[in-house]
Amino acid sequence: MSAETERGLHTRELTVRYGGLVANDSVALDVEPGQVVGLIGPNGAGKTTFVDAVTGFTPAQGHVWLDGLQLDQLPPHRRRAAGLSRTWQSGELFANLTVAENILVAARPGGLRRIWHDIVGTGDRAGRELVERALQVVGLEGAAGTTARDLTLGQQKLVGVARALAGRCGLLLLDEPAAGLDSNESVALARRIRDIAVEGPGILLIDHDMSLVLAVCDVVYVMEFGKIIFAGTPTDARVDPAVVAAYLGVPMESAHA
Amino acid sequence: MSTYLQFAVLGLGLGAVYVGLATGLLLVHRATGIINFAQGAMGMWGAYVFAQLQIDGTLMFPIGQVELGEPGMAVSILLGLLMGLLLGILAHYLVFRPVRHAPVLAQVVVSIGLMVALQALVVIRFGPNNIDVEEIVPQGSIAVLGADLASRELIMAAIMVALAGLVWAYLRFTRTGAATRAASENERGAALMGFSPDRLAGIAVVLSALISTAAVMLGGSITGLNPANYTLMVVPALAVLLVARLESIGIVCVAALALGALQSEIGLLVTKSWWPVWAQSGIDQVVPFVIVMIILFAYGTRLPSRGALQSIRLPDVVIPRIRPVPALILVGTAVAALSLTSGELRFGLTTSLIMTLLALSYVLITGYLGQISLAQLAFAGAAGFTLAKVTMAWGLPFPLAILLCSLVATALGMLVALPAFRIRGAQLAIVTIAAALAIERFVFGNYSLTPPEGNPIASPTLAGINFAVREGRELARLEFSLMALVVVVLAVLLFIRIASGDTGRTFLAVRANERAAASAGINVRMTKLIGFGLSAFIAGLAGCLIGYSHGQLSAESFSVFVGLQILAVAYVGGITSFGGALVAGFIAPLGIVFVLLHQWFEMGNYYALISGIGLIVTAILHPSGIAGAVRQGVGLLAARWRPRDQNGSTAEPPTATTESSERRVPSRVS
Amino acid sequence: MPDVLLQADDVTAGYNGVPAVRDLSFSLRPGEVVALLGPNGAGKTTSLLSLVGLVPLMAGAVTVLGQPLGSRPPPVLARKGVLLVPDDRGLFFGLSVRDHFRLARRRPSRDREAVVFDRFPALQPLASRRVGLLSGGEQQMLAIAKALLAEPKVLMIDEMSLGLAPKIVQEMLPAIRDLARQEGIGVVLVEQHIELALSVADRGIILNHGDVVLQGPADDLLNRREQVEAAYFGSDQFSGSEA
Repeated sequence: MSAETERGLHTRELTVRYGGLVANDSVALDVEPGQVVGLIGPNGAGKTTFVDAVTGFTPAQGHVWLDGLQLDQLPPHRRRAAGLSRTWQSGELFANLTVAENILVAARPGGLRRIWHDIVGTGDRAGRELVERALQVVGLEGAAGTTARDLTLGQQKLVGVARALAGRCGLLLLDEPAAGLDSNESVALARRIRDIAVEGPGILLIDHDMSLVLAVCDVVYVMEFGKIIFAGTPTDARVDPAVVAAYLGVPMESAHA
Repeated sequence: MSTYLQFAVLGLGLGAVYVGLATGLLLVHRATGIINFAQGAMGMWGAYVFAQLQIDGTLMFPIGQVELGEPGMAVSILLGLLMGLLLGILAHYLVFRPVRHAPVLAQVVVSIGLMVALQALVVIRFGPNNIDVEEIVPQGSIAVLGADLASRELIMAAIMVALAGLVWAYLRFTRTGAATRAASENERGAALMGFSPDRLAGIAVVLSALISTAAVMLGGSITGLNPANYTLMVVPALAVLLVARLESIGIVCVAALALGALQSEIGLLVTKSWWPVWAQSGIDQVVPFVIVMIILFAYGTRLPSRGALQSIRLPDVVIPRIRPVPALILVGTAVAALSLTSGELRFGLTTSLIMTLLALSYVLITGYLGQISLAQLAFAGAAGFTLAKVTMAWGLPFPLAILLCSLVATALGMLVALPAFRIRGAQLAIVTIAAALAIERFVFGNYSLTPPEGNPIASPTLAGINFAVREGRELARLEFSLMALVVVVLAVLLFIRIASGDTGRTFLAVRANERAAASAGINVRMTKLIGFGLSAFIAGLAGCLIGYSHGQLSAESFSVFVGLQILAVAYVGGITSFGGALVAGFIAPLGIVFVLLHQWFEMGNYYALISGIGLIVTAILHPSGIAGAVRQGVGLLAARWRPRDQNGSTAEPPTATTESSERRVPSRVS
Repeated sequence: MPDVLLQADDVTAGYNGVPAVRDLSFSLRPGEVVALLGPNGAGKTTSLLSLVGLVPLMAGAVTVLGQPLGSRPPPVLARKGVLLVPDDRGLFFGLSVRDHFRLARRRPSRDREAVVFDRFPALQPLASRRVGLLSGGEQQMLAIAKALLAEPKVLMIDEMSLGLAPKIVQEMLPAIRDLARQEGIGVVLVEQHIELALSVADRGIILNHGDVVLQGPADDLLNRREQVEAAYFGSDQFSGSEA
């Protein structure tokens, strides 16, 4: 199977069960490097479950490959080390750390060997430069010293992206980056996402903001009741009857009768 | 065979007490989500009131008393229960209600504070020694299967199971009980149906106090009352609660009685000739610990937890930086203070230094990593007792011995950290207090491992200089105090370097949000292991210094209670900064403040009472402690002196210690 | 009986100083069904929670049953007959269906139970079953049934259709509307699927990014399908300004 060796993210037969409920049903999805892929669907369709399954935060069956590495048996932090980065719907920054510390902690996630370095090491110019570069990418220059909880929600989401990009990032999963943002912030975010994709890592974007997804994505997957019901271009998605029905519902004849 | 049966039945008396305490724990947990470590202590107060009424007709209050003549058994029982009920009401309004939506850390420490305070209050009002309690259920025996079985224990077990049955019926069949179950699952859902979760919690806390009081009254009538024993009986009761998976009162009854019987059988077995001598003492306390470990390992992640409405944030952490000038001033002041004092005062100062280290180990594990450990003093004790062995038996020289013994503590700390892989919060607190108790009783109090005549420790010498603490009539030699200072300074430097480096940052990330930490690539398990190891290392250093400062060790120096008291002062001082540890060192038991106050009046147990209450007040009102309050005050003053400049940045507040600048919020980022 | 059950005036509400809904105004009269619509993240749930005081108001005012909101905490409001079925359905999985009925009423009433069972006959044989064992549809029925059992004056339902097959929703919504008409209950429905909701509602409010983008009679909104779709799928703000 080519998915095992190709670059980019590939999932096959990814299935998540909660008790009797099948939250993800044999999902196959591909993200090539440099591509922005959208995953949309009505609330409760299983999109966040999918992100959790790919990144190892919920037990799942099936396969996940990133750049030829099989990740599905690894714990979350090992998947992150392999380049699979994610952001969270609710931001989930480390609220009482500064922006710089939020980014640094992802770039250098500690470990036994780090202790000696902590004791004898001097200065941290490399760290400061790393933080500056990461903040440049998301357009938050100068925010390094701010405590994360004092940022606006929009800024928090951007720091979340910067944190996900720090260190090795081969693929970026954005879980509802636009939720809670106002229209202007959402437009700014769309531009950032496109810029990041140009730089290299593929992006999987999960969002409810249809206009955002349709505007920035090269490919769109639509999920309903845990299944992929559509895969194709954003333009096609907009007019696909199944997609429209999933979002707006079908007219209720009986109620009018 | 009949002997075994007799012992099993005798154990039911203890089991009956566990039934009452564990049922109380279960009720409180269901209604508030809080694990009440003070459950035993709460049950004890009413039982003591009852016992005192029976002894001399005095009705004792926390302050003051009334002579009642000869009130009789029934009236005494009712008054005891009434006091238990009042205590429950007070505990609900003053202690538990304010932290119902606070982080687990605050919930655990307030109940610890309550436990320390009640224990101290009982000692103050009723004395530290065992007092006899008049029998409620008369002794007797019935013959079953050819064996004479103790009827008293059987009746007691029946009474407690019946009371637990009433609690079960309350939860099962009454509307309020059903609402309590409902709220424990989904608090918002219950509120939206018109139930006030606060009121439900209050009812449950009061009921739990009643049933626990009844249990301790009955238990006391067999064994007599003893402040330490009944306070710590919460540990086996917690084991029972975990076996019942925090839910089933039926299983609580069965498990509690089985545990009591099992401990009684162990008491029989250890007297057999084939039982190894080294495992004779304290083995009954190892059993609950083993049960706790097994249950939490098997089910830890699946135990029910409670979904609350909202949560307050954790106290802010101050990231330390080494600033040479303040650091030198601080060390210089310490050297001067040690040189200029002598005798008791110098010993108090030295003790404060050592206690700073212990508090620092709490700062690291709890303040930085967010893990609740109640076993830090047990780690210290392990190092201290190892020190006695390696210096006397092997003749290991001074600095090496300290290092080796602290590494022993490190290993022990990492071992206790293993359950932290799967559990956190209050459950971890249960494991660590059970571990501390097991270590205290099985190792420190075990005469075949640590002889009662004392564990002398060889005096430390290096390069011909003798660092012994005593010589002739000198109580605290300057050489020793300066050596302790050097060890403390080195440990603090180690702490600051690690806490301000990449490792410290991963600690804070894990504390803030374990999921997000894992998604940032942090190995959460490894980080916890490192944190427990480091904090146990620091605690181990403190344990060695305690050992040297006493010249020999006894189990009392490292008892669970002393450990909890030190946790209390660490929290009051400020659990999230080095400055807090320093304050804690000053106010720690036997530290310099204690010694100074002691010169004017007998502090004894009032000090423990004040620490307990201080812990509750701090956790509720000002989680960053005295050090945090000082920082805020200094920051405010500095802001007044040097108002904001045009860029909107504020002046850096000067602080008392090698502190970081306080974080300021810059103007909005565009 | 006040003429207006619930009145929201320029309500702005949210968490941590960040508004999730801005300037929401509407009134609810007895027997009326108002639908609060919009894509996810639009601020619907926050709006609903703010109407019973579970999310703090940042600006504006809410009057419930003739009194300002702040004077009564959520449990008291519930006892007065303002019932919210939250998005997690507010059920207790460890309790039985009968337990839920018992919790819903201080004094059990056979008549009332008969009325509710009549609307949701599927619940009748399940009375002794633990809620954790019910299907999603049965759970949602129970959530609404227990609210109806308390004889509400105001009933708010958050995302009733979430995770339910359209067929079940098509049965339940009209049942709720009929009961509202019969008993003079004011109903607020939060929904993502507009078609179903508007077919039973009297009026609709469409939110996006926390702002009210469309508000009016339900029939009116149904006829302005294109505007509604634009509120969901967005206009061309991205491609237009950024390309």
